[in-house]
This record gives sequence, C-alpha cells and structure tokens, in this order.
Amino acid sequence: MMKFFVLLFCFVFCGFNLHAQDTVQVRQLYSIRIVAQRRLRDMGVQKTSLDSAGLRNDITGSLAQVLSQNSTVFIKSYGRATLSTASFRGTSPSHTQVTWNGMKLNSPMLGMVDFSTIPSFFIDEAHLYHGPGSVIVASGGLGGAIALSTQTVPAEGLHVHLIQGIGSFRTFDDFLQVSYGKGRWRTSTRVYFASSANDYPYTNYRKKTFYYDQQGNITGFEYPKERNQNGSFRDFHVLQDIDYSGSGTGNWNLSAWYSRTDRGIPLLNVDYKENSSVRNNQTENTFRGVIRWRNLQQRSKWEAKAGYTYTDLLYEYKRDLGEDQWANMVHAQSYVNTFFSQVETEWYINKWMFSGNLTVNQHFVTSLDNAVVSVEGKQSIMGYEQARLEASGFVSVKYRPAERLGFSVDLRKDLYGSDLTPLIPSFFAEYLVSRRGEVVLKASAARNFRYPTLNDLYFMPGGNPELKPEQGVTFDGGIATAHKGSRYSWNGSVTGFYSLIDNWIVWLPSFKGFWSPVNVKQVKSYGTEVNASLAITLNKNWKVAADGHFAWTRSLNMGDPVNWADQAIGKQLVYIPEFSSAITGRISWKEWTFMYQWTYYSQRYTTSSNQTNSRIGVLSPYFMNDISLETDIRLPHIVINLKGIVRNLFNEEYESVLARPMPGINYTLSIGIIPLFH
Amino acid sequence: MTRTFLVILLLFPAVSCMKYGPSATETFEPGPSSKGLFIINEGNFMYGNASLTYYDTKSGTVENEVFIRANGVNLGDVAQSMTIHNGKGYIVINNSGVIFVIDPATFLITGNITGLISPRHIHFVNDNKAYITDLYREKITIVDPVTYTITGSINTPGHRSTEEMVQWDNYLFVSCWSYDNKILVIDTQTDVVTDSIEVGDQPSQMLLDKNDKIWCAASGKIFRIDAPTRNVEKIFTVSDEAAYSYLALNATRDTVYIMNRDVWRMSSDAGTIPLKPFISNQNKRYYGLAVDPATSHIYIADAIDYVQPGKIYCFDPEGVPVDTLTAGINPGAFCFK
Repeated sequence: MMKFFVLLFCFVFCGFNLHAQDTVQVRQLYSIRIVAQRRLRDMGVQKTSLDSAGLRNDITGSLAQVLSQNSTVFIKSYGRATLSTASFRGTSPSHTQVTWNGMKLNSPMLGMVDFSTIPSFFIDEAHLYHGPGSVIVASGGLGGAIALSTQTVPAEGLHVHLIQGIGSFRTFDDFLQVSYGKGRWRTSTRVYFASSANDYPYTNYRKKTFYYDQQGNITGFEYPKERNQNGSFRDFHVLQDIDYSGSGTGNWNLSAWYSRTDRGIPLLNVDYKENSSVRNNQTENTFRGVIRWRNLQQRSKWEAKAGYTYTDLLYEYKRDLGEDQWANMVHAQSYVNTFFSQVETEWYINKWMFSGNLTVNQHFVTSLDNAVVSVEGKQSIMGYEQARLEASGFVSVKYRPAERLGFSVDLRKDLYGSDLTPLIPSFFAEYLVSRRGEVVLKASAARNFRYPTLNDLYFMPGGNPELKPEQGVTFDGGIATAHKGSRYSWNGSVTGFYSLIDNWIVWLPSFKGFWSPVNVKQVKSYGTEVNASLAITLNKNWKVAADGHFAWTRSLNMGDPVNWADQAIGKQLVYIPEFSSAITGRISWKEWTFMYQWTYYSQRYTTSSNQTNSRIGVLSPYFMNDISLETDIRLPHIVINLKGIVRNLFNEEYESVLARPMPGINYTLSIGIIPLFH
Repeated sequence: MTRTFLVILLLFPAVSCMKYGPSATETFEPGPSSKGLFIINEGNFMYGNASLTYYDTKSGTVENEVFIRANGVNLGDVAQSMTIHNGKGYIVINNSGVIFVIDPATFLITGNITGLISPRHIHFVNDNKAYITDLYREKITIVDPVTYTITGSINTPGHRSTEEMVQWDNYLFVSCWSYDNKILVIDTQTDVVTDSIEVGDQPSQMLLDKNDKIWCAASGKIFRIDAPTRNVEKIFTVSDEAAYSYLALNATRDTVYIMNRDVWRMSSDAGTIPLKPFISNQNKRYYGLAVDPATSHIYIADAIDYVQPGKIYCFDPEGVPVDTLTAGINPGAFCFK
C-alpha cells in the first residue's frame, strides 16, 4: 500500500517535468500515471484528455476541429478561420473557461475563446473538464473548462519537424518546430503560418437570377454560382518554450506565444452588395507569456507563475470610395493588457491530499469605435476604458479512506472589481467497483458563478453596470471502464448530467434603440455523454481502432415568460443540437493508415420558440464525412510523412449556420519531414 | 473483426445526406380584396432570416414568409421598410444591400435594385425618381423606380446616416439618425441639400399631418415642425425619455399616435400629450406601430424576446382589441396595400 502511495506521489508531484529523468523511469511513471491520475488528482472528475497524437492529426486543424472530432463538446463554426466557439452540455461559449499553461485565455471583454485562433500543433496536451470539474481550473465554467498546455520535447539533442500543406482554394499551411535539449536545458521553437484565399465555389440557393421577356415577365431563372466572398485569411503564430531543470532549487519554464491573425469576414449568401464595394475584416495581435517555477519536495509541491497577455483587436467595416480610398463605417478597436500571477501548493499526508492556489488577474481594457460621427459632424470616439482586478482562491481536500473509495471537497471564492462571489463549493466521489476492467463509479456536484464581462458592464452603447453574476448548480454521475491489453484496448464511459443556471446574461435590443445585456433566463440542462474507444492489434502488420463520442443534450429555457405570447419557455436553446456524435475509425497496415471521420449534429433551431413550420428557422441535421490516407517513409537520415485528406467526401452542399454556405469536397496534401540527427 | 469494422464504416455514408437546396415555390392568387397589410419582419442581424407577412384585413387571414414561399428566394438580412408605389412593392433589405420589387398581389419579384450599401427607406418623388437613404453613406441614392437603375446621388456632407423622408411641396425632409441631430431639407427639383433643421439627438421617424406639420421623434422628444417655414413649433416630452418613440397618423391625418412604451393619442393641433395613455403597454416589448390609412385601425408589433415570431395586436379606432396575429421575427415595419 505504502509503495503505491510513494509511486502515486512521484507522479502527482513530478507532474510534467518527467522528461528530465531517464526514459526507463519515465516509462514506468507513465504506466502508473493513468491509475494515479484517476485515483487522486482527478478523483470523481469527468474529464477528456487529448495528447499530442490526438491534437496533431493534420496540419490544417485548429483546436476547434480537434475538439469537435474528439469530444462531446459542441463547436459552432462558420467555417475554417472564422469564429469557432465551444460549448459544454448545452451552455453558451462564455461558459467554457480556457487556460493555457495555467493562464486564462478567455477575453475579459467578450468572455469567450475563439478556438479557430489556436493551432492544434501549438498544443501538446488538452484536458477537458466537463461540468462540476471545471471549478478545479477556474470559476465561471458553468459548462466546463479546458486546460491547454505546451511543453518542450523531453529527449536530448536536436529535433526538427517540418510540415507543409497545400489545399483547395489556395490554402497553404506551414509548420516548423525546432527543439534542442542538453543537460538541464530544453528549448522548443514553433512557427506556424496559414493562408488561404478561401473563395470556395457554391451554388446559392438563397438567390435567383431571373430572366425576363420584353414585357418584363419572368421567363426563367437559375441559382447563381457564387464564391465565398471576403473570406481570405492569413494567420501567423510563433511559440517559444524554454525549460530549465534545477536540482534543489526547482524547475523553471518559460512560454511565449505571439500570434497575428488577419481575417476577412465572409459575406452572407443573402448579401447583394458587390464584393468590391465593402470590406469586413478582423485583425488581431496577441502576445502571451508565462514564466513558471516549480519546486517538488518529498511530500509537497510549490509552484508560482507570472504572466502577461496583450491583445489588440481591430474590427473594420469599410466602404469603397473609389481609387482605393475607403471610408470607415465601423472601426472598432480594443486593447487588452492583463497581468497574471498564481501561487499553488500541494501537500500529501497519509490518506489525505491538500492543495490550494491563489490566482490574480489584473485587466486593463480600452474599447473604441472611432468611425462614429458626432452630432457636430466631426469624427468622435465612442468607447470605454476600464481596469478590473480579478482574484480567485481555491482550496481542496482529497481523502481516500479505502483503496476503492475516495472523496474530495473543494472551495473557491472570487473577487472581481470590488465584488465577491459567494463561496463556490464542489464535491467529488469515486468508487472502484471492479479491478477487472477498471470499472469506476463517479459522482460530482458544484455550485458556480460567472461574473459579467467588461463589455457586458461597460460597452458603449448598451453596457449594463447593474448586471448580476450568472449562477448555477450542476451535478453529474457516471460509470467508466478501461482495459489495456496486448491485443485489445478499450475504454468507455457513460455520464448523466443536470444543471440549472440562473441570471443567464443575454444581449437584447432595448427600448433605447441599441442592444443591452440583461439577466433574463433560467436555463435547465440535462443529458448524457457517452465516450468509447477500441483498438485492436490483429497481427504484426494490421491494426484497427475506432473511437466515438455521443451526446444527448437538452438545454431548456426555464425563465419567466416575457409575456403571455412567449413561446420560448421549456424550449431548446438556439443553435444547441439535441444529439451530436463524432466517430473516427482507423485502419493501419505497416506504415499506412487510413482514417475515416464522421460527425453528426441533429437539427438546430434558430428561434427561441423552436419554430419548425418555417423555411428559414431550422438547420437540418448535419452529417460530415472526411477521410485521409497517410504513410511514413523511413530513410536512414529522415522520416517523411505523406498525407492526403479529403474533406466533405460526398460533396454535400450545406449551411451549418444560417446564411453561411460551406465548402464542398476539398483536398489537402501535406508532407512532413523529420530529419534524424544521429 | 476487420470485416465488421468495415461494414460499420460503410454504414455512415448511408445516413449522411444533408437536406439542403432549392426552396419550393407556391402560387398565391390575388385575393378578392385589394386591401391588406404587409408586415416587414426584420429578422436577426447576420442571421439572414428576415421575412414578409401578409394580413388580409378583410378576411383576417395571415400568410407568413410569403416572399420566400412565392419566389423561392430568401428575403435576406434585416428587412427595414416597404413602400408601395404605382402598384409595386419596394422592400428595402438593409444589410443585404438590396431593394426587392414585388407585385403586391402575388408577391412575385419583378426586379431588384442593387449597388447600395446599407439602404433604409425609399421615397418616391415622382414616377421616375426615387430617393434611397443609407445608414453608412454621406449621400442619398437617386434611382429610377421603373428601370431599377441608379441615376445619381445627393451628397449629405457631415451626415453619414440618413433615415426617414417626408415631402412637402417640392421639399424633402430627411432625418439624420445615427449620432446626429439634424433634419436635412432637399430641393427635389435640383437634388441638392438646401437647408437643415436642428432637432434632438437621433431623429428617426417623421410624418406629415394634414396641416403641413412634420412630426419627428428624437431621443425622448417629439418635435412638431411647420413645413413651409421650417420652424420647430412645439416640443413634446414623452413619459419615458430613454425609450424609443414611434409615430403614426390616422386616416384623416388629424390625429397623432405616439408609442413610447404605452400608446398615446392626441389631436394634431393639441398643446400637450394627454396624461392617460390610449392603449397601455401591459409589459410588451413594442417594436412597431401603424395606423390603417383607410380605417384608422391600430396595429402594434410585439417582438417578445426578439428570437421568436412576433405578435401583432390589432385595435379598432377606439382602442378596443379586435385581433392578434403571429408574424415573423422582429416585426418592425408595416406597409398598407
């Protein structure tokens, strides 16, 4: 028993710095990691973990695409390189808290994260905390939380990985990672560049080109063949990680990530403006840097982090005046500066584990629209400037009275500006039913709060300083099983969840003629999440694997009706599918792998009353089929990976968001090069 | 095992055909009554879900989404207004940058006007000349409503947003709504801005009564302007100054209706708004107001929560409720046939 706990301790407290040690030890620790993680750190938590193999499926993938294929999270996307948001269990995108190396990624102005701006090749690990488990990461994750992290390559020496992708619609993706390790030092540099004309053709069934006779009577029509307009993008990212493993003084880690995204916002398919007459663009520059120190002692861990985030975001809507002169219609510029720090400790005493952390974020935000013309007819500026301190304290006690049973009680409390949230308690429990098949029962419950974003409170015009924080309670319970054998490996889980959110914040048109946020809804959500995977090694050459994710989500508006005519009560929230599923199948033969990906969302409503007797209020079920074939060519000094991807295999014509036509069948060819330096 | 696996994989395509494509069309026969009311449902910005509702005021029948049902074409993004002139209906679709021209009896498209940026309203100076205001342009577009072509423009320097229009004699009065406080005066014979009138901030709706007075709603105040002299005669203060105000006139254009949460009715030459509302709000989110120019029936639009089909409440000239109908999302404007 004691031995188990010592090993457990090694894993828990050595965390991600294992790579400093020799590979045999690493392997041993990794083999107990799965057990250890379940046994203590994430006791009772509903969690989906993605490693770099799952994240780095293909070069064109943003994190949005990876999440939609590998989890039960619903991604609402307008297409590649356009706003892609993630929602857990039928909540809104701002109810998903996201961290990168411990630092929050959610915009303090908008509250949400655009996952299309996170290249999956920049993330080495992603942990998705569904429901109550999110409070371990941060408060405000009324749906869930996603913790992302980057690492250096653990091995010594020089490692280079280059990938070049070429795709339909003049799409180019380039990725380069150079890492080097020697002694106590590790460094990794990644660069990613993606660009695309993104002008895919489609038949526009929302318009008709009519033919008229001399009298002006219609003699015929056709659906215009159009191209996606104003959708081009150029994204550039660079990421530097440096690790230093100190002996007694602890380990140091530095991560710095700069990104610049320059994206057109495509015109709707019901837009009749000439493409050349308007420009609608969004440009974002973001720098994030985190420095971390971690010290591991026999029975304790101390960790400290400091970080900084800078973002400037410019949204422009311009019209052509001729001769390359443009007049601003909207010129909304915002600046965010955030200083972050966190101190964390963990203590292990017999059957108990104690941990706590304190996180502080100081935001400085400026939001301006200088395209506004004043009543005097002069250019004037409209906007707000705000600073807000956000602090969050967290303590957790975990107790395992018997080997099969464990409990955890956590408390969190937040300060935002000059307001305090009430105490946020959460409870987790776990029971190992059977060692054979590792059958585990899990249950958890949490209260949660999400305070309004700075735009909610101060946006000009419309910001509402009277807003109350959103608050919720959430419960889940489920069963999980896993098996890892020499020929067969599988895992599976079934979870049921229930949550109730009050004071849900919604932006609505006001009597004043502009939009303003209000606390209106009570939302009840419940449903089931099912995950399963199976991998079979048939013989030396053949392997087959499949994994599937399925969610049934009822997310219902239970607020007070606006008036007697309100038909929205008890109805599913807009754009939340009741059923969703993603299945991936792989067949490998020697160095060849064929992959099939299938994604499904049931019908989505675009009206709060779930109107179905309409030509324009319902999005029909979504089915997507993608395939890929890849092979590794191993030469003495180089490994070459060739991969061909076919997306939208059946050339489906569709919209997954109203008025946003999507691309038909499209192709990507990528070549990956890994030189071997030995 | 592999075989089972392959079979499972091959099953997916079988259930993977998405329902998408052309919209079916249907024929609407011109009704027995030539009278009716079009309700212009704005839809949600960037959803492209604007729609057109037709209410036969005689029979009381309501047909929703008549534009897409008749034409198989979506109405577009943010339907702003509709005006009938010379037997044709001109529907202005703000964020689609288009004006659809339809036959009001069959709802069939007879043409469209493009080359616009953010059109708001259309006003007919005569049979061959119409003006189109714009939210984002320092000019008013001049079009030929017969050939649907742009024939010119009127510069409005310093006034980016032009909104509603009323004409008295040869002069057109245009409210400058977004971040502005002026009504511009345009000579319709020369197509030039000749004068301006200062009113309150954000002037929007305008009407001309039978005494040649212009009524204009601007940020919590109602301005009564004498059209020939262009003098502000009277400023009325509404009960909730923060709330948006809507205006309407009765059939004989001697009674003014003001909707500012509640609905108030007063004679066009009254000195003050009465204390007691004519129709009370009852907690509805009013989104539009119209009075039938033939019967003086009153129509009030309720957007409910802005993301479901709105309701239209119909009252007789004395304010007695007579009918409730369901329209489309955000019914914001009306047009009587």
